[in-house]
Amino acid sequence: MPDRSAPPAGAAGQYKPVSVLAGAPPWLEMRGITKVYPSGTRALENVDLVLAKGEIHGLLGENGAGKSTLMKILSGILPLTSGRILLGGREIQLRSTHDGLAHGIGMVHQHFSLVPTFNALDNIVLGRGGNLSAPERAAARARVKRLMEETGLHAPLDVPVELLPVGTQQRIEILKTLDRNVDLLILDEPTAVLTPQETDQLFDVLRGLAARGTTIILITHKLREVLALTSAVTVLRSGRVVGNRLTEGATAQDLARMMVGTERMPDVKPRRRHEKVEPVLRVAGLTVKGDSGQDAVKNVSFEINAGEIFAIAGVTGNGQSELIEALTGLRPIASGRAYLLGQQINAKGPRQLYRMGLAHVPEDRHRLGMVGQFSVLENSILGVHHEPRFRRGLPGTLHWGKVRRYARELVHRFQVVTPSLSAPMRSLSGGNQQKLVVGRELSKSPSLVVAGQPTRGLDVAATAAIRDLLVDIRNEGKGVLLVSADLDEVLALADRIAVMYEGEILAVLEQDQFDRERIGLLMGGVRDGSAAG
Amino acid sequence: MLFASLVLGALHAMVPLTITATGEILSERAGVVNIGLEGILLISAWTAVIGAESGGPLVGLLAGVVTGAVLGLVHGIIAVYFRGDQTVSGVGLNILAMGVVAIGIVDRWGAAGFHRVERAFRVPSLSTPLGAMSPMVIVTILLAALTWYLLKYTNLGLKIQACGENPAAADAAGVRVERVRLFGAIYAGALTGLAGAYLSVDWLATITDGLPAGRGFIALATVVFSRLNPWLAVLGGLIFGFFDSLGLIASTSQELTRIIPYQFIQMMPYVVTLFVVAGVIGRFRSPAASGQPYRRE
Amino acid sequence: MDPRPVDPQQLQAMARRERVRQVRGALGSVAEIAIALVIGLGVGALVMRASGYNWLLAYRGLVLGAFGDQWAIADTLASATPLILTGLVFGLSARAGYFNIGAQGQMVIGAVVAVAVGAYFSAPPWLAVTVVFLVSGLAGAVWALPAAFLKATRGVHEVISTIMFNWIAHYTALYLVFNVLNDPRSAERTVRVLPGARLGALVPGADMTSALFVAVAVAIGIYWLLWHSPWGYEMRIAGLNPSALRYAGANPLWSVNLTFILAGVAAGIAGATQVIGRPPTYALYGDLSNLGDLGFDGIAVALIGRNHPLGIIAAAVFIGAMGAGARMMQIMAGVPLDMVRIVHGTVIIALAAPEVWSLLGKFLGRLRAERNAAPAHARTLQR
Repeated sequence: MPDRSAPPAGAAGQYKPVSVLAGAPPWLEMRGITKVYPSGTRALENVDLVLAKGEIHGLLGENGAGKSTLMKILSGILPLTSGRILLGGREIQLRSTHDGLAHGIGMVHQHFSLVPTFNALDNIVLGRGGNLSAPERAAARARVKRLMEETGLHAPLDVPVELLPVGTQQRIEILKTLDRNVDLLILDEPTAVLTPQETDQLFDVLRGLAARGTTIILITHKLREVLALTSAVTVLRSGRVVGNRLTEGATAQDLARMMVGTERMPDVKPRRRHEKVEPVLRVAGLTVKGDSGQDAVKNVSFEINAGEIFAIAGVTGNGQSELIEALTGLRPIASGRAYLLGQQINAKGPRQLYRMGLAHVPEDRHRLGMVGQFSVLENSILGVHHEPRFRRGLPGTLHWGKVRRYARELVHRFQVVTPSLSAPMRSLSGGNQQKLVVGRELSKSPSLVVAGQPTRGLDVAATAAIRDLLVDIRNEGKGVLLVSADLDEVLALADRIAVMYEGEILAVLEQDQFDRERIGLLMGGVRDGSAAG
Repeated sequence: MLFASLVLGALHAMVPLTITATGEILSERAGVVNIGLEGILLISAWTAVIGAESGGPLVGLLAGVVTGAVLGLVHGIIAVYFRGDQTVSGVGLNILAMGVVAIGIVDRWGAAGFHRVERAFRVPSLSTPLGAMSPMVIVTILLAALTWYLLKYTNLGLKIQACGENPAAADAAGVRVERVRLFGAIYAGALTGLAGAYLSVDWLATITDGLPAGRGFIALATVVFSRLNPWLAVLGGLIFGFFDSLGLIASTSQELTRIIPYQFIQMMPYVVTLFVVAGVIGRFRSPAASGQPYRRE
Repeated sequence: MDPRPVDPQQLQAMARRERVRQVRGALGSVAEIAIALVIGLGVGALVMRASGYNWLLAYRGLVLGAFGDQWAIADTLASATPLILTGLVFGLSARAGYFNIGAQGQMVIGAVVAVAVGAYFSAPPWLAVTVVFLVSGLAGAVWALPAAFLKATRGVHEVISTIMFNWIAHYTALYLVFNVLNDPRSAERTVRVLPGARLGALVPGADMTSALFVAVAVAIGIYWLLWHSPWGYEMRIAGLNPSALRYAGANPLWSVNLTFILAGVAAGIAGATQVIGRPPTYALYGDLSNLGDLGFDGIAVALIGRNHPLGIIAAAVFIGAMGAGARMMQIMAGVPLDMVRIVHGTVIIALAAPEVWSLLGKFLGRLRAERNAAPAHARTLQR
């Protein structure tokens, strides 16, 4: 348990890096951890992880390397297949999160584990024993208030958490975990939804916690975060430990090499210059309502030219999703106009838009872009299934033979790895699902491709393949609207970048204006040094 | 006189609907939906008669509760541990119940389809200014109050709601989701069992293989009406119960059946249920994870 | 990305693997159903033993009554006929993602309409029969519409609305049967349909008629619709992932409503088969007893047939056989007819949880592993 009598934290300088590698005694040991899923997937293979008390340890790896699986085992969510976990030299059994918390191990998940309809206080006291009588509630409130003072994590206690911004939700998540008296705090990709500035704040808080004796494991795939915060780092690749070293003296290049191995992130294909420039999509004064009736997109205007990738950067949840849905016919346009190749697209449905030359790689692949229970074959014609080329002579009859030929070609051309065409779509890896979706959309020979978070959750190879496809499309003289929360991706692919904040486009930057820090500030709502309304 | 019998009739018709709905409210809050309430009502009505005839009305009620709890447990195990399809399991329960009770009546009393419960084995009534009232009316209100308090003011209630809204969050917070959900399923079963016992050894004083006559489903409609608030389940039970008893009273009135055919009077509770569910309340948001099995990963 | 040359050998290997997977998947689901049936029959046997019946004799009677001779087989198929149709009601709806319990009410309405049309519409046989089926199907569809409407506009859950409409249909039919369609010469049934609208027995002395072929044709039609037409493709997407259907440029509501209507047609036709296709009555009994709970039994049929039209035909024959054989079971072993419901219910509950088998296998595997590793286990305990 952290020593709560210590002076309030906050100043970063109090944290002194400790690590087993620097001679500190081991406190937590995970030895020979192997995890085989019931499906036969070997997620972890003989993994060792050793921590000292009060250490901030980075757990680095690509998507699918096994970081989250390892930490879910440590927090008791997943059972391990074989291996041992020792805490303070004694072996512990973790059959549930209950056991994990009993040993002082708590995890803050990437997807928040908050009950959306509960307020912060209810979320925090959830799962603690005892009765919620008025005095005990008051005691809990006082305890949480004190915790907020000590840690510098502040959040309103009486508002349903679904109404709060993600950064606040995350603070509640951390408070919730700390309130269970954890002395090992696991954070899974905590900065994925934060602006650079919020990230810095979070790191200050974490240093403060570590200075008071809390041990922290930070799961991430961002090298900068490892270098900024941790004292030692363990690198996972394909379920195995490929490196374990002190952070001091390490460079981003060292870590990157360990993380991706020999398969280096290939450079994006060169971009061809286009002579003529004509707009594919013109958006004028577009306003779109969100799910709860508020204006999610506010009076947005921009143009996308043929042969360019126009990227919209921004923290997730600032109106990008609603904008995509409005432009692809899935959400009504409240006011304003949008034109595709000069034709107005207000009130046009997805099928009409497809005929007008629009392809859509949806940001929520599982919800929109595919039917998980359907076969690869059936998914290959989603959205084009009504076309005559898949019909028999008899009206209204699907010709599966023709579909099969088409699907085989798709699978080959876009290198989708699947055991068979009749394999259920959900049995494919995320990268292969996305390749099929992207391939299907590009086969529509569109004039404009709208791609939402096209590489989210994909491994290095699939990410590179998808990015190359987008550049190909651009080089062919078509327009691409890329919406991505991944700043590196935006910077690597875009010809122009628009930054969206709270439904507005704060700025559109030309290539010579690309600047990580400036975009980061814009993503946080800071326009030329002043906060945006 | 008519007023008194209408009020008492509505109260008596409310009891099975509200008790059943109250149990189901807690279960749905925890994330388990049981569409087999009709079947549980039927089977426990039958075991309650057996219990009452061997040990008196209290034993009868207890037999109903235990039967319901066991059936709720079976449904809960299928829903929670086997991650089965809750709707399918409930439908199976309904069909099974029709067979069990049809055979059970023959097996026990030798007569096909119908058995009358003698006064000595029925729950004794309280005398009120309006007339004889079943003590189960009071029990119903108490159960609704208890469930409301449990959900709103106890830690268990908080856990139950978390399991229905976001089981992964509850799990991460150290709540044993499976146990909480199983508790919900058993609670719904036990209360439904009590309601079934009330049907046979109290209110209707018979056992037939069609005794609940759709009340299990009207109770489900009451759950929708209540927006998962037990107090509103009392109100919903009263509304549906009023039309139920109105139908019962009206169909025995000679003058009325001459104007309106009795079939249309008997139809009334079902029509009213439809209108209330469609018109008065419209859409409501049920717990996000209700009816879905919880799987880690 | 550079298009890769298509490797024909790889394509062939791919196709081969595909066929193996398909066969394996089909066998797996057949095995699942078979196990559920065995459990259902086993529980039935236990209940019969507990109640003091000779279960072996009962099951022998069941088999004899269902398949003993040509009349038994004809009876089985006659019982299966309406079950195919009511099974399709539930199965088709389930494919589109909702739980349609309304077959019973839609069937009752279809049957009443069949009496009304068949008794008063005089025409050549082929025309009269066709008109009865069409009008009954239409009536079933009309009866199904309000539930679809309430779901689409008011979000009323279809289980609640269809159950209520079943009761409303039940009492409406009772009223019509007693007061409008009653036969002055017989208190216990309605007027009979005209001879021109009657389907004759195919096996003299048994009540199987060509209605069976109508039912099978509807099943094949729905199979074709679901897996070989773009509309069925959309219906299945509506059932699995309505958002994806919107993305694909179609309206999920339209698909769901079309399914409701088609299911209603099947239910209405089911009702008609019981009126014009079941000699010798060709009328409805006053208590609607010749309709029984066929609509609810259809749910069992669909669930056992895994909501697949061809599986539904097989399951309908199974349930039909139990219905036909139950009488012989009653005669030979004295077991009440309702025994078969216990079997149906148990089968369905067993089918509700396919994970039971994998869990059971895992549990047994662990037991075996623990027994083999007993010494190691003992060590752990000591520490």
